Amino acid sequence: MKKITLAILASILVFGFLHAQTYKTRDGYIFFNPNKDQTKKDYAADSKEATAVLKVETSEVALLVPMKTFHFNNALLEEHFNENYLESNKFPNATYKGKLIGFTKDMLAKDGVYNISSEGQVSLHGVTKNFSAPVKLEVKGKTATFYCVFRIKAEDYNINIPGLVKPKLSDETPLDARIPFQLN
Amino acid sequence: MKKICLYLMIAAGFTIKAGAQDDLLGDLVKEDAGKVKENFATATFKSTRIINFQSVEMTGKGNLQFMVSHHFPNLWTDGKGLGNLSQFFGFNSGVATTYLSFDYSPKDWMNLGFALTGNSQYETWAKFRLLRQQTGKRTIPVTVDYFALAHIDASEGPSPDDFTWNRFSFLHQLLIARKFNERFSLQLTPSLVHLNYVPFGINNTNNIFTMGLGGRYKLTHKTAVTFEYSHQFNGNKNLLDESASAVNYVPDLVSIGYDWDTGGHIFQFYLSSTTSSQNITQLSANTQDFTKGNFSLGFTINRSYSVKRVVQAH
Repeated sequence: MKKITLAILASILVFGFLHAQTYKTRDGYIFFNPNKDQTKKDYAADSKEATAVLKVETSEVALLVPMKTFHFNNALLEEHFNENYLESNKFPNATYKGKLIGFTKDMLAKDGVYNISSEGQVSLHGVTKNFSAPVKLEVKGKTATFYCVFRIKAEDYNINIPGLVKPKLSDETPLDARIPFQLN
Repeated sequence: MKKICLYLMIAAGFTIKAGAQDDLLGDLVKEDAGKVKENFATATFKSTRIINFQSVEMTGKGNLQFMVSHHFPNLWTDGKGLGNLSQFFGFNSGVATTYLSFDYSPKDWMNLGFALTGNSQYETWAKFRLLRQQTGKRTIPVTVDYFALAHIDASEGPSPDDFTWNRFSFLHQLLIARKFNERFSLQLTPSLVHLNYVPFGINNTNNIFTMGLGGRYKLTHKTAVTFEYSHQFNGNKNLLDESASAVNYVPDLVSIGYDWDTGGHIFQFYLSSTTSSQNITQLSANTQDFTKGNFSLGFTINRSYSVKRVVQAH
C-alpha cells in the first residue's frame, strides 16, 4: 500500500516537474526595417536584448523587449524613436503574450523544422492588440529557435509619424523576431 | 518510509503550486524591472548647438554631421530708416556671415570638427564628454563636456606681415548641463578665449573669461524655444585698432531662438545680438550692443549621416 502511495506521489512529482517545464532566454533578437523600399536599410534597427519564456506543457509564450535596447545606424533616428514616436520613458517595454498553436513537447526532442503558429496580444506604446502569425520552430541539438514576423501598423498603436517622413515608410513594418532557447 | 512519503507529498505540492503560476509575462516584466540599469538623460538639447554656442549634445557615434549657419546684418539700424525695410530686416542686404562645418564622432564620448567660418577663417575642434547625467546604477546630476577649439585667420588682414602664430586664437569651454524634465534643460558654460594677438590698448588682454547660460524649453516633440546669455568678465575696453581709433567691445551677448526638428534636419532660427558666426569673435570681440536694440536674424541647419553601420541585417 505504502509502495503504491509512494509511486503515486513520485509520479505526481515527476509530472509536476514536467508540467512546470519552462525555458527562458535572454538572447532574443529583434530586427525591424520600416523603409518602404525594403532593400534600403537606413531606418532599420535591432535589439539583441529581448527576453522570452516558453512554458512547454501549456504552450504559453511571453516575450519582452525594452524599447531603449533598439539601436539605429543614425543616432538621431534613435533619439526620435525614443523621444517622439515610442515615448520610451513612458512606455519602456514592448511585449507579446500568447500561445503556440500546433506545438507539442515532442518537437523539442527531435531535430527538425516545424511550422506552427501563435495567437496572443502585442502591447506597444501603451496599446494592446490581438495578434496571430505563423511561427517557424527550428530544433537543432540543444537549441530550439523560434522565428516569427510581427507585422505592426504604427497607427494601430497610436504612433504618430510626421507627414514629412511618412512617404518613406511602409504602412506595415515587419519585425523579425529570432528567439533561441537552450534546452537542457 | 513515512518520512519519505511526507517529503514527497510536500515536494509534489510545491511543484503543482509552481505549475499553477502562469503569469509568464509578469515574471519577465518583474525580472526586467529588477535589473540595475543606467538611465542616461538623452536629448538634453535638440542640436549640438544651443544657439550660437555648443551644447552638451554630440553627433552620434559613427555619424557625420553637416551644419550651415547664416548670421545676417542687424534687424534694424538706427538712422537708416526705411532702408531697413528695403533690406527686409537684414535678410535681403546681400551680406551674411556663413559658417559651414563638418563634424564626426569616432566614439560615443568624442567629437571632432572642422569649420569654414567666413572671411578666410578656419576652425577645428574636439569635444569630449566627461560625465553623463544618469540615474540607476550611478547617479550623476549633470552632463559635462569639455570643448576645445583652435581658430586661424588666414585673411590678408589684419597684419599680413605678422608671424603665423599671431593668427591663432583658442577657445576652451566647460559645458555643464542638466535636463530637469522632458521639456526643460539648462546649461552653464564657463569659457576662456585665448587670443595670440590683441590690438594695443590700456586694458587689452590675451585671456578673456566669459560665463554663459543657455536653455531650452520644448513646446512639442518637434519644436522648442531656446535662449542664451553670455557675459564677459574682463572685457576688451578702450582698445585701439590698427588705425589708432578706439574700439569698444560689448561684454554681453543675448540670443533667443526656435528649434524645429523635421525628422531629417534640425532647423534653428534665432535673434542674436551679434552678426558674427563664430564663437571667438562672439565672446571676445562682439560689437553689437543689445541694449541699443542691435539684434540680427540668423539660422542654422543640421543634417547628420550615418557613416558607420551599426545595425546589420541578419
